[in-house]
Amino acid sequence: MKFTKGLRCKECSREYPISPIHVCEFCFGPLELIYDYGKIRENLTRERIEARPKSMWRYRELLPVESDPTIGINVGFTPLIRSEGLAKALGVKELYLKNDAVNYPTLSFKDRVVSVALSKAKEFGFQIVACASTGNLANSVAALAAAGGFESYIFVPYDLEQGKILGTLVYGTNLIGIKGSYDEVNRLCSEIAENYGWAFVNINIRPFYAEGSKTFGYEIAEQLGWRTPEHVVVPMAGGSLITKVWKGFKELETIGLLDGVNTKIYGAQASGSNPIVVAFREGLDWIKPQRPQTIAKSLAIGNPADGYYALKTIRESGGWAEDVTDHEIIEGMKLLARTEGIFTETAGGVTVGVTKKLIERGIIPRDESILISITGNGLKTQEAIQDRVGHPVIIEPKLSDFEKIIAPQRKEREVRIQATV
Amino acid sequence: MEVRVRIPSPLKKLAGGQNVINAQGRTVGEVLQWLAMTYPGLQERLRDEQGGVRRFINIYVNEEDIRFIQNLETPLKEGDQLSIIPAIAGGAFFKRRVTLTFPPKLIKEPVIYTIGQRFKVVTNIRSANVTEHVGWVTLEIDGEEPEYLKALGYLRGIGVDVEPIERDIIE
Repeated sequence: MKFTKGLRCKECSREYPISPIHVCEFCFGPLELIYDYGKIRENLTRERIEARPKSMWRYRELLPVESDPTIGINVGFTPLIRSEGLAKALGVKELYLKNDAVNYPTLSFKDRVVSVALSKAKEFGFQIVACASTGNLANSVAALAAAGGFESYIFVPYDLEQGKILGTLVYGTNLIGIKGSYDEVNRLCSEIAENYGWAFVNINIRPFYAEGSKTFGYEIAEQLGWRTPEHVVVPMAGGSLITKVWKGFKELETIGLLDGVNTKIYGAQASGSNPIVVAFREGLDWIKPQRPQTIAKSLAIGNPADGYYALKTIRESGGWAEDVTDHEIIEGMKLLARTEGIFTETAGGVTVGVTKKLIERGIIPRDESILISITGNGLKTQEAIQDRVGHPVIIEPKLSDFEKIIAPQRKEREVRIQATV
Repeated sequence: MEVRVRIPSPLKKLAGGQNVINAQGRTVGEVLQWLAMTYPGLQERLRDEQGGVRRFINIYVNEEDIRFIQNLETPLKEGDQLSIIPAIAGGAFFKRRVTLTFPPKLIKEPVIYTIGQRFKVVTNIRSANVTEHVGWVTLEIDGEEPEYLKALGYLRGIGVDVEPIERDIIE
């Protein structure tokens, strides 16, 4: 059954038939899917969703794929964790973590958008898929293209983390490192997209691709027992995810699966790449482009495509935008690892760090429900913290050697325990 | 004050087919006004209902974004270059596109149908304006390069003005 009606310009509302296009010809605004929510409401119930396999495709009526999804059918439905350790460390009552660091198959939320983009690319009849990426998207497109029988071309800034390069090449893709920033990679890809008939997931397939992010929001609502947290902190790079989490919540309300949405959405950036935060602070409704300089490379986008809409989401929901320094990002990563046993990448350090800051400043109240988005896995960005986590103790294989190092450690611990008693 | 204005390809048709226009005005706002009066079709494409510049159109004076200067109030001096550039450059112009202008004698002929029949190309009309005396159509043409070129050759041969829409190089 078909639940989409076409594409509509987010600016001037002109409509277009479903096709691999992303820009309005009249005013150059971005295009977005139009759904028949009345029909979806009739077809989709909580019970129906709950009876389906545990993947993001359990919400398929709300995704722009018409036939059965063909790519990434196991993606999503990642753990929603009720935090104990981190909640205590931050001094809050009700804290949740949505953990896409263990998303299938490439350990980031990008698997959601890519499985929609490639399923759609298959429907459109494309044989070659491509993307411009800061790393996580590269991993995901390479892996899902391999699984889906596509040829793929992937364009990244050449100085990415090794883990992200290796985690792309292994899938047998064509990886092209560009000597430039992500924004320059993106601009080049717009040119390439025009000259080659490829499905560029985040260019000409963007309206479809971006819809995949809504499932991050749907899952939060369902896993909390069909309600939304009062405060949700989301990382911002291009600014798309934050708008789609909000859209996901509002859609569930529209089709009657949520009784009201009382949620404030908070956008988190690194201080070295914070164009959306700056616009929020200065009360602007446009984005001043930047040249990013941060260890959070997956968020290093200086000219965010959805920056304006991210701002609008934050303001509409009554949330806030904030940034953290590279030092605070690393502290955030370590805090999450040491309180929850979750090793997130730098972007997760950003959301944890920003949440901490907003709680300390009283912007997020301590006695209300809070959710932190964890969108990527720390094993991919090891360089960022390799000198900041200590070193193993190396000894000879002798008990006496072990006793030499353990005795002072145990003593130190006893002193600490006595001090707290 | 005379300044040079670079028009992006998708709007060229509305500016008398010109890529560059010599326009008049002391500020960016005045130049936009001048453009709208001289080429009325440009008004609604450049400015929204409230009179502001459309959100996804960027305007540069000598390569500097006017939002970093004084926006529409940005003063201009003789010989300045003003560039109008879609924010999301490219992308939309994914398949090959051409603008066809029909002479009166061909307005009633099924020209687009004919090229689809005679050559291995798939055509898709993206915008059009056809009256009794004049007609133009923006057409997306998908197909192998030789077939595409043959189709263009045929169109020109029967007297249709064919203008490929080129993409903008912004940097």
